[in-house]
Order: sequence, then C-alpha cells, then structure tokens
Amino acid sequence: MALAQTGSMPAAAPAALVAEGIHKSFGDLEVLKGVSLTAKEGDVIAMLGSSGSGKSTFLRCVNMLENPNAGRISVGGETLRLVPGKHGEGLVAEDKEQLRRVRSRLAMVFQSFNLWSHMTVLENVVEAPIHVLKRPKAEAVAYGEEILQRVGLYDRKDYYPAHLSGGQQQRVAIARALAMDPSVMLFDEPTSALDPELVGEVLRVMRSLAEEGRTMIVVTHEMGFAKEVSTETIFLHEGRIEEAGSPQEVFNNPCSERFRQFLEGNLK
Amino acid sequence: MEGFDKLIEYMPNLMEGAVVTVTVAFASLAIALVLGLGAAMMKLSKSRASRSVATTYTTVIRGVPDLVLMLLIFFGGQIQVNNIGAYFEWDYIDVDAFTAGVLTIGFIFGAYMGETFRGAILSVPVGLLEAGYAYGMSKWQVFYRILVPQMMRHALPGLGNNWLVLMKTTALVSIIGLHDIVLKAGQAGGSTRLPFIFYLFVAFAFLVFTTVSIWLLNWLNRRYSVGVRRA
Repeated sequence: MALAQTGSMPAAAPAALVAEGIHKSFGDLEVLKGVSLTAKEGDVIAMLGSSGSGKSTFLRCVNMLENPNAGRISVGGETLRLVPGKHGEGLVAEDKEQLRRVRSRLAMVFQSFNLWSHMTVLENVVEAPIHVLKRPKAEAVAYGEEILQRVGLYDRKDYYPAHLSGGQQQRVAIARALAMDPSVMLFDEPTSALDPELVGEVLRVMRSLAEEGRTMIVVTHEMGFAKEVSTETIFLHEGRIEEAGSPQEVFNNPCSERFRQFLEGNLK
Repeated sequence: MEGFDKLIEYMPNLMEGAVVTVTVAFASLAIALVLGLGAAMMKLSKSRASRSVATTYTTVIRGVPDLVLMLLIFFGGQIQVNNIGAYFEWDYIDVDAFTAGVLTIGFIFGAYMGETFRGAILSVPVGLLEAGYAYGMSKWQVFYRILVPQMMRHALPGLGNNWLVLMKTTALVSIIGLHDIVLKAGQAGGSTRLPFIFYLFVAFAFLVFTTVSIWLLNWLNRRYSVGVRRA
C-alpha cells in the first residue's frame, strides 16, 4: 500500500513540504526571484498577493506543472532530483517515477476545477487512487463515496461535472484531492472562479480540512480565510516574499508598506 | 429481367469482391489512425525536427494525387524492396496489390487524420491534462485516460468524413489489379455485356457501406458526448 511509507513517523518528522529558492522566468520576465517556504505537518499557509505577484506560479512550480529555473523541492523529506531540461524549459525531474510519486502526495485544487468532464463525479474521485496509487477498485470506490459524503455530494456521485454548480464542482475537486490521502494539499485560488454566493460552501469545506490538521498551501484572495484559518500568512510581491508570519502579526502589525496598501485595498 | 438473373448468377463473385473492399478499408483505417495520431503528436511536439517531418508528410500527401501515389508504391515499391532485399540477401519479397493498396490508402489518410486529430487535441482544455499530471499520472495515462476520450468528441465528425472518403478511395485498388468489388463488377459487366447493371450494383453497395458507417458514427458520437451539456 502507498500509505505504508508514511505510516511510521520517526521522532522528528521531516517537514511536509520544503521549497527553497524557487526562481522562475517566462522569457525575459522574472516571475519568481527566489521564494522559499516550509510547511510542517498540519500547517495551513495562506499566500496572498496581487495578480502577477507570482503566487500561482510558485504553487505550480512546487508540483512541477511549471519548470522552475532554480530551486529545491522536498516532500516529506524526499528531495526531488532536478536537472536542466533539454529544450531550455528550466529544471525537469531526472526520474519520472520519482516525480509521479511526489506529485501523488501533493494534491492540487485548481481555480477552474479542471474536473475530467467525461467522467462522473465518483469516477473523477477514484481515477487517480486506482490508476496512480494502484488501490483495489472496490476499496477506492468505498473510500471515494465516504469522501463525497463528507463534502456533501454523495447524492451527486453519478452526475457529470457539467451538471453541477461551480461550488459543487470545486467540492468534487477537493474530494478528488482528499481521495489521494495527500501529504500536502495545494489550493490555487480555489474560490476565484466562483459566483460570490457559492464561495461560502467551498470555504466551509476548506476550513473543516484545516481543523482536522491537514497540511495546506492556499493561494487565495480571501482575507477572512487567511486571517482566521491560516497558521502562517505570506504576502508575495513582484516575485519575492514581502511579509510573512502568523496571521495575528501580519494583519495587525504589517512591517511592509506594500502589504499595508494591499490590505487597505482589500479590507475596505 | 435478364440483367437481374445475371446479377444473381455473379453474386458470389461480387460478394467476394465486397469482402476484399471492406478488408482493404478497415486495414487502411487502422494504419491511417496510427499514422494520424503519430503525425498529430509530432506536429504538437516541442522538437522542431518532429514538427518538420510531420509537415513534410502532410504537404506531400496533399500535393500528390492518390492514384499516382498508389502506382508509385505498387511499381516503385517492388523495385525498392528488391534493391534493399538484394543488399541484405533476403528472399524475394512480393509487394502484392493488397499490401500496396492498404499501405497507400493508410498513408494518404494518415495525413488527413493527422490534421483532424491535431485540431481535436488542441480543443481539449490544457487544465484537464495538467490535472492528470498533477495527480501523478504518466504521459501515457494522461494520453489514453484523458486526452483520447476528451478529444474523440471533437475528432469524430472529421474522422467520420475521412472514413467515408477512405471507403470510396478503396475503389482505386482495382487499378493495380486487386479483386475488389469494382474489379469483379468490371469483369462480370464485361463478360455479360451488362456493365451498367453491374456498376449500378457497385454504386448501391458503396451506398450501403457508407450508410451503415453513418449509423455507427452517430452512435459513437453519442457515446463520446457523454457528460457534455447540450444547449
């Protein structure tokens, strides 16, 4: 079983996720100028920043959907071996097997859901557990149904994504992530594509995940969520970390003038 | 009705020809699908070399008449195989009409399928493929679990058209002496002096093939449109 590897924790467990000195350029534009972050087990790290600050790019570098130009990524103590790519695309994984293993422990929730539209809700949820983690089908289905129950969509399990509301689709996407039993969940602006009245149902599910001690990196514009739920808040500006700390410190006494401006713009 | 009696008399012959026609069509389709997918992937590849190979392929096919290609492969192919065979000291390899015909038609329609597939692949939202990679799927898994089922819906209309034209193009194999339904009808029409009756039958037979194909395609279309919201 895939779970067995993480089953027995040594006394000092390695950090769930370490990203160190991530650099990323698109052509001449340097989007990330060395961003580092460490998430311990159970941390909920909220990443804030205006659009273009590089926060989504950072998250996409962590699971190698973008190829960083420099940096180190390590998940649960396992460091991803990276080598320069042949087509000048930045760093690529040296060992495809290792990349797949690491990715399967980092479950991502996308801004535009990215559910597989040719599969039903349940099929979406069990797809990767069956085909990536190689879980037996019956087991994956039973677990998938349990998770759908939890996000309140069990009765929609045989629907296709196109027949669900945005909020429901995003809850399915969260269920798809949970079904992997991930070490770290990556949320890339999970509520930005939703109608305002649907944001609440998704945030409620995310809040409950935080409360049960899931390790989460959440790129978001939801100040309330960052303030109330995160264990650490990071503010990114022009590809650098401009402000970082506990939400109490950061929101009550921001050191950075830029963050102050950002907060005023958002907290009116 | 003398013509009708003759048609009945030659029916076993014509049916043999029909089987050859359908076999050629399916064998060519298989080659065309494989070549088409390959060409589409190459056209969308990061490597410039692959892209130019695929572009040369489609340019050649689009520019040269089907019949000329078939004659080239049938006559030219035999000479080339002989030359290569002599060099490697193989036994004599016969490029028969069936092989030449199937290869040519597969080769021609591979190029058209390639264009269809390329468009269909581009119509699949990148995010769905990214989601596959993000969950640890391999390239191959993303290809057959996500890309193929997603793109089929977009590819099927073009693929269906290509198939109908391919079906009709098989008539060309009679030129290189393959005993398909057209050649059989020609022979029967010649010896009975009733060419009109026999060619009319061939036309009708092709109409039956294509009509059945259209039914099947419609069924496939419904199958691959599952999960699509109809306006």
